[in-house]
Amino acid sequence: MRECRVKEFFEAPVEGPREVIFLDDVWVSLGGHTVLEAITFSLKEGTFLGVIGPNGAGKTTLVRTILGLVEPDRGTVCVMGMSPRELRHELHHIGYMPQQVLFDPLFPVSVYDVVMMGRTCCIGSLRFASRADREAVMESIEAVGLKGLEKRPIGDLSGGQQKRAFLARALCLETRILVLDEPTAGLDVEAQENFMNLLERLKKELGLTVLFVSHDVNVLARFADEIVCINRIMHLHGSPLEVLGSDRLKEAYRCEFDFLAGAGPLEKAGE
Amino acid sequence: MLVYGFAQRALVGGMIIAVVCSVISFFVVVRRLAFVGMGISHAAFGGVAIGLVSGVDPILAAGGFCTVVALGIGWFSRKGYIHEDTVIGILFATAMALGVVLVRAADAYNLDLMSYLFGSILAMNWNDIIIMAVLGVLALAFVTFFFKELLFFSFDEETATASGLPVRVVYYGLLVTMALTIVVSIKLVGIILVSALLVVPGAAGMQLYRNYRRVMVASVIMGIAAVIAGLYLSFWFDVASGATIVLVLFALFLISMALSPRRKYMQRWRARKRGTARTA
Repeated sequence: MRECRVKEFFEAPVEGPREVIFLDDVWVSLGGHTVLEAITFSLKEGTFLGVIGPNGAGKTTLVRTILGLVEPDRGTVCVMGMSPRELRHELHHIGYMPQQVLFDPLFPVSVYDVVMMGRTCCIGSLRFASRADREAVMESIEAVGLKGLEKRPIGDLSGGQQKRAFLARALCLETRILVLDEPTAGLDVEAQENFMNLLERLKKELGLTVLFVSHDVNVLARFADEIVCINRIMHLHGSPLEVLGSDRLKEAYRCEFDFLAGAGPLEKAGE
Repeated sequence: MLVYGFAQRALVGGMIIAVVCSVISFFVVVRRLAFVGMGISHAAFGGVAIGLVSGVDPILAAGGFCTVVALGIGWFSRKGYIHEDTVIGILFATAMALGVVLVRAADAYNLDLMSYLFGSILAMNWNDIIIMAVLGVLALAFVTFFFKELLFFSFDEETATASGLPVRVVYYGLLVTMALTIVVSIKLVGIILVSALLVVPGAAGMQLYRNYRRVMVASVIMGIAAVIAGLYLSFWFDVASGATIVLVLFALFLISMALSPRRKYMQRWRARKRGTARTA
């Protein structure tokens, strides 16, 4: 029954790519303050969508609303054809990597154990991991290039390796959508580059739809198919060139800054 | 010592307590619930007093009372109205105050009450052991069937919630399990010291290993060893069983710290040993 909803959605004949995530006039308030106002956009299957905006713009709230962790005051949220309530039983099709995993470095778990945590909702309550689960975990570890490190305590890995382990955890479900909240924050340039190349490869190989929240416009300029810019309200939605070249971006960030100056590869693409 | 019926009962009960507390202590340590454990255990005094005054079995009364307190701590802190440590500070002092008032009003200050506070090797009867066994099995069943959920929730609550895990069930389940574990341990270890059984075995296991399976095994072994040695010493020196068990546990914790692979001298010793083995 659970399988059917998502399978039905992806197997139903449609003209053109499916709208995997659809938000229409979504308003969200937290603690009496409006955090998101009239947000409307859709994300098509197989698209890499970057979400940008200044600090406190409501990016994480947007992610949490899509995942059904925050209830909107009004508007429609539809993920894989389901409302947030229905989605609660299908969350094992969404791989999520939070902004920061605040874990104790001495927590006695290995990389394998951490990735296996991702399988928890696939295994189901009152059941133990099967051979298929163990194989799925090893496949994910291999996919992110951590094979050989699976027995290492998670706290012993470098920041970049830890991010890859958490990406493997998000992938080892029956993942259709990957939601990443600032996954490259705190990584050096090389680790960031490796992470993004890995993500691009996995997206192509596994046919994933990616929603990527980031402050790094350079990264998004290179890898995203579309960018959404929010700061409480929705300011822009379009291709990286359209969004990063728009004057309304300065309005969203409330500062004067040439966003395209740092986005070298985009300029090339634009030419 | 084992020719005496009370000693046999204490040993059987002690083993049940050691296993249950040591398993739970892993989650208490990794989830940082040590203060919650202390709050619930001290609140048990209010429950015992209600039992002594009303004529209900004090252990059963404490079980009900501690469960309510544990759920109260969880509810208030999860709702975000008050911080967890503040809630514990309020509830634990209030429950103890209630206990003191009730005991004084009913004039129930006696040896029985002291045994609840500090534990006694003489205090357990077979009825208590049956209650311990039933509650112990329930606690272990919860941990066994929800182990992967508990581990995920303890490691990274946000992602666990986002992936659809029933985190509320797991959190409240863990608190209730802690409450029941504390209650079954009261007769032997006492209200004041029972929280040590919920913290020290897990903390000692964490010193020795960085793999949760080994941490749990080490924790259970140390818990059992401490209970057996503590009971034996309390019998021979005629001192409170709870205090002796806790002191033995502390000694085991110090040994674990000294032998921890995280200590530099242990790392050097291991490296030397590996070098010698290679040369040989």
